[in-house]
Parts: sequence; structure tokens; C-alpha cells
Amino acid sequence: MKEYIGVVVSFILAGGIAGAMVFLASWLGERKPSEVKLAPFECGKTPFSLPGGKLAVKFYLTAILFVLFDIELVFLYPWAVIYRTIGLTGLVEMGVFMGILIAGFVYAWDNGALEWQ
Amino acid sequence: MIGPDLADVKLLWPELILLTMSLGLILSASRIRKGLKASTATLVAGFASILVYRWPLVEGARAGFGDMIIIDNYSQFFKVLIASALILIVLLSARRVETDNVRAGEYYALLLLASIGMMLAVSSTDLIPLYLGLELTTICSYILVGTTVERRTSNEAATKYFLLSAFTSALLLYGIALIYGTTGSTSFDAVASFFSGTEGGNNKLILMAIGLVVAGLAFKIAAVPFHSWAPDAYEGASAPIAAFLATASKAAGLAVLGRICISAFSEESHLLSLILATMAALSIIVGSIIAISQTNIKRLLAYSSISHAGYALLGLLPGTAEGISATMTYVFIYVFMTLGAFGVVTALGRRGERIDGYEGLARQQPVTALLMLIFLLALTGIPPTGGFIAKFVVILSALNAGYFTLAVLAVACSVVSAFVYLRVAVLMYMKEPQMDEAPGYPIMISAVLLLSALVTVIGGILPSVLNFWEAVP
Repeated sequence: MKEYIGVVVSFILAGGIAGAMVFLASWLGERKPSEVKLAPFECGKTPFSLPGGKLAVKFYLTAILFVLFDIELVFLYPWAVIYRTIGLTGLVEMGVFMGILIAGFVYAWDNGALEWQ
Repeated sequence: MIGPDLADVKLLWPELILLTMSLGLILSASRIRKGLKASTATLVAGFASILVYRWPLVEGARAGFGDMIIIDNYSQFFKVLIASALILIVLLSARRVETDNVRAGEYYALLLLASIGMMLAVSSTDLIPLYLGLELTTICSYILVGTTVERRTSNEAATKYFLLSAFTSALLLYGIALIYGTTGSTSFDAVASFFSGTEGGNNKLILMAIGLVVAGLAFKIAAVPFHSWAPDAYEGASAPIAAFLATASKAAGLAVLGRICISAFSEESHLLSLILATMAALSIIVGSIIAISQTNIKRLLAYSSISHAGYALLGLLPGTAEGISATMTYVFIYVFMTLGAFGVVTALGRRGERIDGYEGLARQQPVTALLMLIFLLALTGIPPTGGFIAKFVVILSALNAGYFTLAVLAVACSVVSAFVYLRVAVLMYMKEPQMDEAPGYPIMISAVLLLSALVTVIGGILPSVLNFWEAVP
């Protein structure tokens, strides 16, 4: 179990720092409440609404494109770490992988996924 | 050397051809206006991949990619079958793509990608590429089921299929995780040698792992109790896509199940055959009986495909090479007779969807009615057709393995299903036409119907040609 002490320490540190920030902000901070400030925080949209409202499909497209690049990065990192051991084979395989991903991106671009009207 | 050898790429030439073509279609999708160009391109890729297969293999089985992919006669048989089904489905799709306003580039690219997924799955000897292959197939299938966006039933079918399938994919993955947890490997050989080494081991965990993996695969072949998606998905999808799900997808699922039964789980055969026998019995009963009350022909064929999955599972019960080869014969005949039946549905267009659309068809389109009769007789399993041979070999293999009750049940349900199929035949031949004559259909659809009928009939008259593969994993 010894090797998990580091994990426990990082949990405590993370919790402590986050807790201290919340506590210090509420203790030291000056309060000038306004309607917007009192509303629950949610990235740009109304936090509570009845389901069934319409959501523009543009957000979905952007999210998909984000996932595309995200996956690319997820695989690029471990590849970069062992690049020297796998050599040319690895380079070719990564090229194939990137080629397929980029084909998807070109398709999305070509069909107007990046145009925000 | 850590990474796989580049020479392994040679093992997957056929898949690479299909992949290149599908990427080409994706890249030029916005510029493809005529569906015909895209379908021709897909056909060329399909034929090229079949030519490259070199089947049967002369030099014996070859493994590659860190022993995750194997190329043997078993995998080549199913790959050629999947590629043939792909070609026939592309031929069937041509008219629907034009009339339903489907974007041709994406449609054919997804068909190609789904086929590549199946081909990878049937040649995997490791649970990870197997899962990846099946996922590639199902993710493409969700979109294909929902391609006709304007039709509400199509959207409903795609949503239902997606939700249920995503759930069972999670089950499959969980089963794979448990197998890795108990055996420490995902490779079929390593799993099998672990099972043969342990005396009992952690029985409950093994039972759960095998149960989950088999459940995930049973969903792909729509065996009861994992069948509920099939009627809705087939009804909502356009007829060629329903045919794709019913034939290629099911063949791939059975191939994977067969390989897993005979390699990875062969030491647990008592457990496995109990699960498979239950599923086979339930599929045969439920599929045959519920089909009686269907009025939509695609739903009827869906229930028929469920009962056929049950029959095909009979061959996997003994866990022997003869059993697997019986299932291979069954799948081969099943693919062509089902493709033929769905081909007739496609050919008749809107009229072909409902069962009363077949009233008096023999008077209006005698050739189409005759071909449909052949497929219906084959699906029932009546002697001059290949359907009889197919049912005969699987029931025989179940009998040889000592499943007497199950064999009797299979024969009894065959009689029940005769009522289902022959009802359509009676409508075609003994009723007066109620509807206007359906418009003619293009030569591509006729080619599919004739080819399927030819294979179905030859399989019945000369059953010895069906034994030309001796290709068990």
C-alpha cells in the first residue's frame, strides 16, 4: 500500500487548496451582489430549463471536431515517448493513422462544418 | 522490435483496398452528385478485394500483428462471403440511393467501412481487435439505418438500435475486461491455455465473463433474448440496409462466435453449450412463432432471421470441427436466400413492404413471384432448395452431439415457420391482384435476384459443392 501514499497526499493537497480558496474568498472577499452574479454558474447557457428545448446542431459538430483532435493527441503522446524504439514502422503507422483522421477532418471542412452561420 | 512488422500489412491487402476506396469516397463526398459513380467505385473495390483473397489458402494459416490477426481458410471464407454480400447490397441499393435522396458518397463509404469492421472481426484471434472490428461495424450500421432522415420510422429505428447496441457493446467490453482480469490476457490462445490449466478456478467470475461476452455477440446475431432491436431496425431501415444487417452482419457475428467457441472457450464447453443451447432453443421458438402475426414483410423477415440465428447456433453446440463446418454451410446458404428475399422486397418498392402487397403478384410479375417462391421455400427448408441442406446439416450435428430434444424442437418449429413463409406464397399465387402493377426494377436488382436464386437452388441440388471448404479455425 506504500506506493499509494503519494496519491493520498495529492488528494489532500488538491482538496486543501481548493477548500482554502473557497474559504478565503468568502472570508476576505468583498460582496457586491448583482442578479447575474447570484445566478448559478454554467458556461453561457441557462442552467435550469425544461428539457425539450432546441440546441443548435452547430455545438454538436464543434464537439465532434474537438474529439477528433483530442483522440489524435491521446495517441500522439505515447507514440512520441517510444518513438526511438519503434522507429520507421511507428512513423509509417502514425502517418496512416493521421491520414485517416485528417481525411475525416477534410470531409467535415469540405461539407461546411466549420462555417458558423 | 516492439511494433508490428510492416510485412504484416500484406495480410490485410483486401481490407486496405476497401479502406482506400472508402476514404476516397469520404474525401470526394461533397462532389459526388450521381449515385452511380459511387456505387461503381464500391463495386470495383469489392471485386478487387475478392480477387486479392486467394482463397482457399495454399500456404496455410498466417498470423500477424502480434498474433492478433490470423489469416486462415475460416477467416477467408467469411471474408469472401461478406465481400459478396457487400457487392450484392450495393447492387440493391442503387435505386434507393437515387429516390430517397441519400448522399451517395457517405452511404457507400459507410457500407465499405462496416464491411472492413466485419472482416477484421472474423480474423481476430484477440479480444481487442475483435471488439474494435465489431464496433466499427455497428457504428456504421447505426448511421446506415438512419440514412433516410425524412422518414420518422427510420429515425426511430436508428435511435432504438443505437441505444440497445451501445448497451450490449458495453456488456461485451465488460466481459472482455473480466476475462482479462481472470486470465491476464486477451489473446484467444492464452485464455484457452489458462482455462485448461486451472481446476475450476474462480468459477463464478468465469461464468460471468463468458456470459457477458456471449451476450454481446448474441446481440450482433440477434439471438433471443438479445433480439428485440432487430424487427424495429429492419422495419425502419431501407430494405438493402436491412438485408445488410440480416446477412453480412449476422454472418460476421456467427463467425466470431464460432471462433471463440472453438478456441478461447473450448475448455469451458459444458458452460458454453448450456448458454448456446438455451439461446438456440429460444431463438427458434420465438422467431418462428412471433413471425406468424407479422403484417410487415421486413418485420417478418426479421423474425425469420432470428429463428435462423437459432438454427445456425445448433452447429456451434458440439464445439467440434464438424459442427462449425455445418454452421458455415448454414450461414452460406442463409446469406443468399435472405439477400434474395430482401431483394424482392427492394424490387417491389413501397408495395413490397406490406404483406398484402404480394396479393396476386404471380399474375402481374410471374418471374419475380417465382423467385420469391424459391427464397420462401429455401427459408422454410423444403428439399429442392439449399435451405433444406442447411437445416439438415445443423440439425444432424446437434443430433450427433446428443441434443435430441433440441433437434426435435428445431424440426417442429420448422413446420410452424412453413405456415409463415407459405402464407406469403399463397397470397402471391392464389389471390386476385388488389394493387396496381408495381413498376419494373433495374437490371442490377434482377442480377441480385437471379444470382441469389442460383446459389440457393444449386446448394440444394448439388449439396456436395458446399463441402469444398475444410476451413475450421
